[in-house]
Amino acid sequence: MVNLTIDDKQVTAPKSATIYEAAKLNGIKIPILCHDKKLKPFGACRMCLVEVEQMKGRQIPACTTPVTEGMIIRTSTADIVKARKMVLELLLLNHPLDCPVCDKSGDCDLQNLTYEYQVNSNRFTDEKFSHEIDYNNPLIERDMNRCVLCGKCARICDEIVSYGALTFIDRGIETKIGCEFDDGLNCEFCGSCIAVCPVGSLLARPFKHKARFWAMTKHPSVCGYCGTGCNITLGVKDNKVLTTIYDEEQGFHKGQLCVRGRFGYQFISSEKRLTTPLIKKNGRLIESTWDEALELVAGRLKGGNSVAALATPRLTNEELALFKKLLVENVGTKNFDHAAGYAHTALTGGFARSFGTSASSATILDIQKSDLLLVIKTDAYETHPVVGFEINMGVKNNGIKLTILSDKRGKLSKLPDATTIVHRPGSEVAILNAIAKTLLDDKLVTATAATIAGYAELEKALSGFTAEAVAAECGITAAAIKTLAAAYASAEKALIIFPAGQAYSGHNAELATAAANLALLTGKYDREGCGVLCLSEKNNSQGAVDMGFFAQDGGLNGVQILDACAAGTVKTLFIAGENPLISYPDHAKVKAALEAVDFLVVSELFLTETAAMADVVLPVCSYAEKEGTFTSTDRHVQYFKAAIRKNIKIKSDYEVFSNLVTRLGGALPPTPALFFSEIAANTPGYQGLSHVSLRKEGAFAPVATAPKFVAPLAVAPFAPETGKLALVTGSALYHNGTLSEYGEGPMHVCPENYVELSRSDASLYKIAEGDLVTLSSSSGSIKLKAKITPRMPAGVVFSPYHFSAAPINTIWNGSPVTSVTVSK
Amino acid sequence: MNPITPIINGMKITLKHMFMKPVTLQYPTERPKVAKRFRGLHALNVSHDKAKCVACYLCPTVCPAKCITVEAAEDANHDKYASVYEIDMLRCIFCGYCVEACPVDAVKMTEEFELANYNRTDFIYSKERLLVKK
Ligand code: SF4
Ligand code: SF4
Ligand code: SF4
Ligand code: FES
Repeated sequence: MVNLTIDDKQVTAPKSATIYEAAKLNGIKIPILCHDKKLKPFGACRMCLVEVEQMKGRQIPACTTPVTEGMIIRTSTADIVKARKMVLELLLLNHPLDCPVCDKSGDCDLQNLTYEYQVNSNRFTDEKFSHEIDYNNPLIERDMNRCVLCGKCARICDEIVSYGALTFIDRGIETKIGCEFDDGLNCEFCGSCIAVCPVGSLLARPFKHKARFWAMTKHPSVCGYCGTGCNITLGVKDNKVLTTIYDEEQGFHKGQLCVRGRFGYQFISSEKRLTTPLIKKNGRLIESTWDEALELVAGRLKGGNSVAALATPRLTNEELALFKKLLVENVGTKNFDHAAGYAHTALTGGFARSFGTSASSATILDIQKSDLLLVIKTDAYETHPVVGFEINMGVKNNGIKLTILSDKRGKLSKLPDATTIVHRPGSEVAILNAIAKTLLDDKLVTATAATIAGYAELEKALSGFTAEAVAAECGITAAAIKTLAAAYASAEKALIIFPAGQAYSGHNAELATAAANLALLTGKYDREGCGVLCLSEKNNSQGAVDMGFFAQDGGLNGVQILDACAAGTVKTLFIAGENPLISYPDHAKVKAALEAVDFLVVSELFLTETAAMADVVLPVCSYAEKEGTFTSTDRHVQYFKAAIRKNIKIKSDYEVFSNLVTRLGGALPPTPALFFSEIAANTPGYQGLSHVSLRKEGAFAPVATAPKFVAPLAVAPFAPETGKLALVTGSALYHNGTLSEYGEGPMHVCPENYVELSRSDASLYKIAEGDLVTLSSSSGSIKLKAKITPRMPAGVVFSPYHFSAAPINTIWNGSPVTSVTVSK
Repeated sequence: MNPITPIINGMKITLKHMFMKPVTLQYPTERPKVAKRFRGLHALNVSHDKAKCVACYLCPTVCPAKCITVEAAEDANHDKYASVYEIDMLRCIFCGYCVEACPVDAVKMTEEFELANYNRTDFIYSKERLLVKK
């Protein structure tokens, strides 16, 4: 800490602080325009000029100058005010001053400062800029005429997003922010640049002219897409969600969002939302009343074991717990599951047996505190982009070593000094086991590892996994495995990260235990910056596991439930928000099962493909219309309240389940708030949590580990077939599950399914970019647009799973890798 | 005082007024002279065959009676215009703040004061009705 004087006030500040930070810490406001706390100091605008007595009263920028002991600083003398006014005059000189038509008006730093410093005339005269406005992409409009050249957009795109779409181009008065070859912007569209732009140069096109900033109410909430659990602010006017608003104080990510979170909100106030319960009569879904629909559903739920349920992990903890209670206590069935029955097994199977807890032993905050990150599949960026930002920053700012084990290269591979070990698809578990074997062979394990239960069995089971044997099978070198093992063991802190989800069926219990074994062998768990982090797919996937909403004690799991529907043993299936027809493996099988089941109830926001097959469709609320808690992938339990009033004709899932409980003779469940306190008392790690205590910023539910080694199974690796390509499924950056199809933003930039293939395969099969190609597997065939990218290795093709128009599950039956033939 | 005096004084005034020009207007046959700066019905100024309004929302923001509804949209040239511009004359208090707030001189108040109507809905003046007619 250093002592200094700011505006005659004695203050202290940390040694590393700049004058601006020291002043802010002590409640003294210094105006800024180009500074952002997330970015490195830049000093472009000179709004933050202050006088330092020791520097002979010279005016220096507060945002770039570190504090020193005994500094005497003045922040608003007459001279400084004069200088700041001049800065503003010069900025306004070329600025178009088109505030009436600019969407930034009301939230514009330049406007606010102009008002504050009363710059109402200009001593200078010059022409206005006449840069062409970039309307080339559907999400971000770039009007460089309004730009004040603060560089924040270019810096955030480089420092945090690590995309590097924007930069300064040209010189002197001609300087502007431009893209490659001064072309239109075409990037990953996370919108971070829009968020930080202090003026209206970068604007969200989906929100263009929708409302003025001051006319909206701002509702903090939690993003309803992936498991990262980002905090977002919804801009609401006339009870409609019109946009998301940047708030740099929000969450660990300081307001940063990905393309889905920022631009995918339209599903909330969509015209396509269901508003009336529907009942199938004579093969057609007819509008009905709640009373009729619920009475019908309640009647069909009285079937004990012949009732099964699938719920989406997008429901709140309260809803999932109540649904479970309804099924177990009032219906009398154990047949319920979520996420296709396997996407949660890394947690419920793998971590449960290795760490004695079905949760990750690390948090997202550990990423930046680690020394070495081992990421399994580059897809971790696509599935959880804001976690990806943390990796970017860790690698670029803290010099964390990044090693990626993946079946293809990806964005993370481009980070400085990142090593990507591209292996044959489907062999990640074998490689992890080979690393474990190398650790044992090369005596790289910690002394305490041998005291953990199962050590001897592990040693024995690993005997077949020598680096040489595995390397040959997996298409990598033994040296790569050995180097990785040595690096992992020698790092002071190391963290293993892998995504899980319905499209990653190979990221299962085996993978989780193999990763856990490494952490246990080297003692890299239960410490800051260490552990294994499973990135679960949906916003409340971890919550669904914590609430116990998965097959246990002999209940049927997701896959078995569908089989039982087809076999006729399950007669009533209640699907709350899932869309298995599109997102579960094997389209034909799912369809047959849904057709075969006697009675299908679907509660949904939209008439999805699955809902269209139902006997009863119940219209329910999105997260913006209800209150509750979500648990993010690292067990951050967060409370959110309704941002808008729900349509009077729809119910929340909680209300639906409550109503069914009473119709089945149970006592009326309490309010979600009271019910949550009840749940919290009985859920490990949740003790003491309540809606009130979570209101401010949520809380991490602690994870207590009881480690144990689990011996790996010997699995035959995927063998590539000659003349066929290996299809791997996954998530596209712009989508999450099937919900993002109803968010307009993602659909503007990624509207249809595609297949990504390598250049060598493209030339082999004479396929050009954008060609329609037919992929056929043993379970079917599908026509997809070809996308040729340098990241795919020869012989491997990739396709995401979100799209209902061309669902990949027509050719994919759930195996991690599928052999397909490709033809034009 | 003599009780007759007030009556005589009163009659004097009455008689005087009998020979003065009457104040009452025989409306509607006689029309009042409306001052140039009278604040009557609004009108939207037109320039280049388009409403000048750029849909900046300053008038609905400043309006104390909250009777102006503006909805902005983007035209083919990416310019902002008011796809909806409505004033509810039943709520308007004719303060003229909207005229003052407008940065582009798009809205004015006319000398039109005859606003009576048979239906409440007829008091909602749409953009079409407000546009200055040539
Ligand atoms: S576009 Fe915005 S963020 Fe980028 S330099 Fe210009 S003013 Fe700054
Ligand atoms: S989708 Fe995930 S990463 Fe993106 S904003 Fe939402 S929670 Fe964050
Ligand atoms: S203040 Fe003027 S330009 Fe703005 S909305 Fe009203 S009439 Fe239109
Ligand atoms: S804020 Fe310090 S120079 Fe811009």
